[in-house]
Amino acid sequence: MYCKKECIAMLLAGGQGSRLYDLTKQTAKPAVSFGGKYKIIDFPLSNCINSGIDTVGVLTQYQPLALNEYIGNGATWDLDRERGGLSVLPPYQGNKKSDWYKGTANAIYQNITFIKQYDPDYVLILSGDHIYRMDYSDMLAKHKETGATCTIATISVPIEEASRFGICNTNEDDTIYEFEEKPKKPKNNQASMGIYIFNTKALIEYLELDEADESSSNDFGKNIIPNILANGEKIVAYRFDGYWKDVGTISSLWEANMDLIGDDPVLNLRDSQFRIYSKNQARAPQFVGANAKMVNSMISEGCAINGTVVNSILSGGVIIEEGAAVYDSVIMDDVIIRKNASVYTSIIDTDTEVTEGAVVGKEGADKSEITVVAKGSVIKHIKA
Amino acid sequence: MAISAAGIIFSNLNNNTLSRLTRDRTVAAIPFACRYRLIDFCLSNLVNANISKIHVVANYNYRSMIEHIGSGKDWDLARRKDGINVISPFQTATTSSAKVFATHMEALKSMKEYIDEFKEEHVVLMDSDFVLNIDIADVIRVHEKTNANITIVTKIAEKDYTSKNPRMFISSVAGKVTDIAMNTVASDSNPELALNIFVMKTSYLRTLINEAEAYGLNSYTEMLRRKYSHSNYRTYCYSGYAASVSSFLDYYKYSIELATNEKSRNSLLNEKSRPIFTRVHNSAPVVYTKTASVKNSLIADDCVIEGTVINSILSRGVHVAKGAVVKNSILFQQTKVEKNAELNCIVTDKSVTITEGVKLSGNETMPFFVEKYRRV
Repeated sequence: MYCKKECIAMLLAGGQGSRLYDLTKQTAKPAVSFGGKYKIIDFPLSNCINSGIDTVGVLTQYQPLALNEYIGNGATWDLDRERGGLSVLPPYQGNKKSDWYKGTANAIYQNITFIKQYDPDYVLILSGDHIYRMDYSDMLAKHKETGATCTIATISVPIEEASRFGICNTNEDDTIYEFEEKPKKPKNNQASMGIYIFNTKALIEYLELDEADESSSNDFGKNIIPNILANGEKIVAYRFDGYWKDVGTISSLWEANMDLIGDDPVLNLRDSQFRIYSKNQARAPQFVGANAKMVNSMISEGCAINGTVVNSILSGGVIIEEGAAVYDSVIMDDVIIRKNASVYTSIIDTDTEVTEGAVVGKEGADKSEITVVAKGSVIKHIKA
Repeated sequence: MAISAAGIIFSNLNNNTLSRLTRDRTVAAIPFACRYRLIDFCLSNLVNANISKIHVVANYNYRSMIEHIGSGKDWDLARRKDGINVISPFQTATTSSAKVFATHMEALKSMKEYIDEFKEEHVVLMDSDFVLNIDIADVIRVHEKTNANITIVTKIAEKDYTSKNPRMFISSVAGKVTDIAMNTVASDSNPELALNIFVMKTSYLRTLINEAEAYGLNSYTEMLRRKYSHSNYRTYCYSGYAASVSSFLDYYKYSIELATNEKSRNSLLNEKSRPIFTRVHNSAPVVYTKTASVKNSLIADDCVIEGTVINSILSRGVHVAKGAVVKNSILFQQTKVEKNAELNCIVTDKSVTITEGVKLSGNETMPFFVEKYRRV
């Protein structure tokens, strides 16, 4: 059945996220909790539906079980559609060969058939490990207006951090003349956000060329973008000036969570015109007990708080017993902090129990000393 | 063995004594327990017993309920086979005055065609003005085991309980119904308050409807009284939290109890295997600022708390500003309590604004109600 779409999105969600250590041991990075009730992947998927994109291929590879269960049929983001909607695209066995996704470009290459089903004019490439709210339709409008082969979303980063990113060197009209992947001496601070819009025909051509090149590492930043530039085709930078954070490390994940609280939080999730959707867990309302003290914190449904919570983010169903205290921490689903236990500057993964009187983390620790507790742990109190 | 049952929910048959809460919403759509509406408890009780064919009987003011139910997706009731169906009053082009059912038996008579089509072995009838979290599967099991014609879920009435509506009170011996009375208080001879959950075989319901038509019977009580002495009518005595919402005061009392009584709260909201489902709004988690102070309260998503909240229930999107104090109150969605305002024993309907410095107080025996969209 022919089902034409103007623009479809391909979301790369197969990354391991090895720099998140224990948090991604059993879970793909896009399925890591964020901001209480969200998962990282809620952000790009909500952006899609809020931008009018109703067809999304989600490419999974690493530890996909939790991610697949979370995504389901896409109903959370109104992407359960009869025409289009969300499709999970794992690597598969073809009649001649089968392969894991070797790189970002190869992952898309292996799904060219999926793209062709929708005969789209444009393909939006996204990654599943960034926290940001963005209206892709605005970027698409610019892409059409400039007539570029490819448009790359960029953001200003501090120049001292620029060597960690793919840097876009642009002319005055925002056309890119050079793309440098993690340059030692960056020429400017316009970093690629890993968000690309391609004309479909050109994308497929370059993916096929790249696949034929055995020396290629099959990566958008390292191979595809430089090849397009080398051919003299037009690539334009789309400058984004909203909130955007790569949450690929423990400290950046912790920082992004902390960006949600404070008097005037940098990341505001309360915009009813641009909701971030997340899967409903059917939890009871949050209960605050007689001994609770909550300061500058964000607390989700199903929590029962009877202790102290300061500068922290709590996901669903967290129990904080009397006398327990949590400072500067991110506590994920269904964690229990027993009586008189303390938690300082930590990220505690789901289903963990901190037993009575136990201490997690170091009092007064900063973001360079974040303690991470793996899923399902039991932290015991050791008497001195 | 899998349960074969259909559910029928009467959404609005006792609306006459809840005037302010039901001025422009049906009983089933009254907000309750912070993030739910009354019908959520009926639907969840049925869904948690794997009952997926559910008819909701509506008569008046049912727009907000229809909006709440939507496709039924939030209760997993958006099905190709079965699922949820709202039965609204039926008006044809030729009838001059629409006859809107006012009693259970009238409603059942009007939906006889649907019931004739039921393939399910049992039917569960319930009213939306009783709020509880009950294992309906167990009620059906007991019903089958005791070979009852009808099993009525009851609760021993609290000593001082007075209903504004006459309710059904029952006495039983070893579970068998020995007397049925309509009253506003329990008596020594009829100590069990019927929670208006009835389980029976579908075939038995059909005979009851036929009899009701033949003898012109309109209420449950008329029906049951005629037959209980020579039938096996039994009670299933439930002992958890059950709110009988017959008046605004009942509504207030049973709501606040959820904030102040842990046992009640756990019985209704924290049964691990029987979660309560509701329409999802995708709101952000609650934010507590540096000046927040909250005790014994239930708080829904999207609230921002900068002031003090004690023994209260706050629905979605409530804002309590700095210096404001909310005590023993129930605030519906999007209520704004501005700086230094004080509320005690107040129920605000949705989108009410209490402006800066305003002090309002009711009493626990006479809480005060603020209508929706009002600015105080």
